[in-house]
Amino acid sequence: MSTTTITVTINGEVFEETVPVRMLLVDFIRERAALTGTHIGCTYEGVCGACTVQIDGEAVKSCLMVAAQADGHEITTVEGLAQGGELSPLQRAFNEQHALQCGYCTPGILMNMDEFLRENPDPTDEEIRHGLVGNLCRCTGYAHIVDAVRQAAKETR
Amino acid sequence: MTGTSEGWVGRHFHRKEDHRLITGRGKFLADLARPGALHIVFKRSDHAHATIESIDVSAARAMAGVVAVVTGDDIKDEILPMPQPVVQPALPATYPKHWPLAVGKVKWHGEPVAAVVARDPYIAADAAEAIEVAYDPLPYVGDPESALAEGATIVHEDWPDNVIFQMDFTGGADEESQKAHEAKVQEVFDSADIVLKQRFTCHRCGVAPMETRGALFEWDESDGLTGWLTTQRPHIDRLALSDILEIPAEKVRIIAPRDQGGGFGVKAPFYREPMLIAYMAKKLGRPVRWIETRQEHLMAVSQERDQIHDLEVAAASDGKLLAIRDRGIADCGDGCEGVYWGFLMPFLGAVELPNAYDWPIGDIKVKVAITNKSALSPARAFGEFPTRFAMERAIDMVAKRCGMEPADMRRKNLVATLPHMSITNEYFDSGDFIKVWDNLMAEADLPGFRARQAEARAEGRYLGIGFGLGVELSGVASELFVPMENQPGYGAATVRLDPRGKVLVFEGDAPGGQGHETTVAQAVAQSFGIHPNDVVVTTGDTGTTPFGSGTVGARAGSYFVSAAVQACEFLKDKIGRIMAHDLALADTSPADFEFRDGFVTYQKDTNIKKTFREAVERVIMAPINLPEGESGGLEHTAFFEAEKPMIAFNADVCTVEVDIETGQFKILSWTTSEDVGQIINPQIVEGQMQGAIVQGLSNTMFEEFVYDENGQQLTADFENYKLATAADVPDIKVTHAPTPCPYTPLGSRGIGEGRPSDVPGTLCNAICDALEPFGIEITDLPLRPDSLWRKIQAARGAS
Repeated sequence: MSTTTITVTINGEVFEETVPVRMLLVDFIRERAALTGTHIGCTYEGVCGACTVQIDGEAVKSCLMVAAQADGHEITTVEGLAQGGELSPLQRAFNEQHALQCGYCTPGILMNMDEFLRENPDPTDEEIRHGLVGNLCRCTGYAHIVDAVRQAAKETR
Repeated sequence: MTGTSEGWVGRHFHRKEDHRLITGRGKFLADLARPGALHIVFKRSDHAHATIESIDVSAARAMAGVVAVVTGDDIKDEILPMPQPVVQPALPATYPKHWPLAVGKVKWHGEPVAAVVARDPYIAADAAEAIEVAYDPLPYVGDPESALAEGATIVHEDWPDNVIFQMDFTGGADEESQKAHEAKVQEVFDSADIVLKQRFTCHRCGVAPMETRGALFEWDESDGLTGWLTTQRPHIDRLALSDILEIPAEKVRIIAPRDQGGGFGVKAPFYREPMLIAYMAKKLGRPVRWIETRQEHLMAVSQERDQIHDLEVAAASDGKLLAIRDRGIADCGDGCEGVYWGFLMPFLGAVELPNAYDWPIGDIKVKVAITNKSALSPARAFGEFPTRFAMERAIDMVAKRCGMEPADMRRKNLVATLPHMSITNEYFDSGDFIKVWDNLMAEADLPGFRARQAEARAEGRYLGIGFGLGVELSGVASELFVPMENQPGYGAATVRLDPRGKVLVFEGDAPGGQGHETTVAQAVAQSFGIHPNDVVVTTGDTGTTPFGSGTVGARAGSYFVSAAVQACEFLKDKIGRIMAHDLALADTSPADFEFRDGFVTYQKDTNIKKTFREAVERVIMAPINLPEGESGGLEHTAFFEAEKPMIAFNADVCTVEVDIETGQFKILSWTTSEDVGQIINPQIVEGQMQGAIVQGLSNTMFEEFVYDENGQQLTADFENYKLATAADVPDIKVTHAPTPCPYTPLGSRGIGEGRPSDVPGTLCNAICDALEPFGIEITDLPLRPDSLWRKIQAARGAS
């Protein structure tokens, strides 16, 4: 099995690792970096969004990349959202608005919406709903997620 | 009722589960690691129905990193076959014999044929690819009606036919009484003003959770088998594994991870895969781990709702419902699935067909056919999604023939006084259906809508309004659960007080997002007068929790919480007795002590009090000078069984606009009216309703499992099995018209399980109302713009 050595920064911590060339980035994050907040929900076709992380600040589905492609890049996962033990306004809003039930899709949604709010500081509900189409949630029916993103937008502005 | 007017029950309280989940520190099954764990990958059948001629595993076995390869022939003398009593209902049915891996032939596309155990999951997948299976194809049995016809190919070759289960729900046990009952119902139809006769079909779909199934088993010669399993019913899995693998039950421990990525019924059966994984862990003496791929998941499970109903309704011209007749057929798949066997859903769907209407008489029969598909596995709105679609559509169609508003027809025929026994012997314990309905109608403003609809129609726009309603189970009483699933219905909770004044609660059921940790903490905190953050809940570990049949049928708000409250009351009584003794208070009963704000206070003299911690610590840590007959320690397990089976009730209204040029439609509004009894956590209740209704919409509009003419399953990924996204669905307005349940200590009802069931009828009723000028009646699901467009085109062509 051919391998390659990569250097990736995840949540500020540098990982230099030799990995199989075919190793998916999501597996690298979960198994090599032991950051299991990033989840797998579909058959690696990028539909469910549970594996969404940010690469150099941009929300990306980590099942659609191999780890080797992340060489030299900075990754933020859900474990990196809270700073100094302080929840981000978006995380807090998810708790306050009951925007999660089983919580399996939640990390991906947080990573997507964190970027979305930087790009769209004052979104309408319709814009939020369209911003969420890359993330499937089976429990909430989405309404409370929209409420949480709206609250976070308001608090962050 | 116990202090529901104040305190934590009914109060807004943010969930205790959330912090770990929003910071990425949840512990789902795939996040659990055991040193040296091996990975198992299943080789699954490419054929829907075929004889296995040979399996060549030599190439797989030779690959570096592969530890073992097994086939059905390797295990059939090692593992007892299913069925086993603990996962076999007490209902008369034919139960197919099967092992975790196919033996002799395959019966559906995706059936496990062999398995590879390897040190690395990527290598296990490569090795599974390298297994060569030679098949000799057999005719595909894919249509339930053809499967039931004379001369059909028999799927389970040792059976006389393809019938797994059939039942007459209304005519009594013997043929003579059934015939007499049929004739009696026929008389009503013969003399009725209005008779509707219509076939309704519901497609195969379900509620695939975002987390797939998974298992991690390890074996230790002295401790036995320990398994972490995605499951809603760990205690049942434990007994079943003990029986199948012939391991003494005390040597089997099953742990459902406290974080599970949704269940919705899908994680309730006793499936084939865990049997094999547990067996391999024991055989190899090493941990074995399985994380189901999404493709496997959509091929093997989450498939429900596949039913056809030939429904007849007799009514008087004034809109009074007189009789119902139904001949239901369900497409079971191969039925090889512990606990449910693919037919329990259609069974319960038939029981719930009459819904909340006051039928004088009915004749309901259902037949369930074995086919070459994956066995139906449960999904929320268990079995009743199709029957409620049929019923709610039929009510509208009959109303139209009576010249009545469908809303008026519903109110006229609702069961007006409770308790009530339905024609299928479903007991409705309590509540006020009319109150719930009238609350909905106040929200709906039907006259206002009709005026707007007329204006819109004058402009060539087609608006519609639709109604639906549903009686749902609030937990499953033993009197239904024992015959249905051979399991007890009681709720169980162990409440253990900590010397530091904290409370530990142990629950044998296994939630997957419903918020049990928060809900029960609120109930327990109210009972002891402490804060919910001082209550810690452990779920789903058979090594530490009391026996429970599982997180199914909305049991938490009805049965589990009630058991926890009963256990608290028992312990409060003991604390009160000992305090009265210590303070030498005469003529005092435990009821004279109030638990509130962290204190235990003597009501007759409120200066006499102890902190909760002091009171508790005294009994646990200083068990001397106790009253005669008392012992120290504060822990109690309560088993709650309600006096009667219990229900919850809800009604919905939605409005839509249909574009007649394209068949596209938009849901303009959706409002519910609920009777969930005493609410424990309002946000959690609302979240259940929002989520359930959107699942119902997603099932109605998008999701569909498709098998081609050879039984190839074409929808095993989320590209082809589409779930609703945030942009596809409306915000739901949830309103309440509660009646506390008199049979639970808090007045609470279990909610959420059945809640998607009235969604397809409500939505389709609105669409048909919008298209009333074209006379369109929707009788088949799924509801898609293209089929709607064809109906509109046909109607316009005809007019």
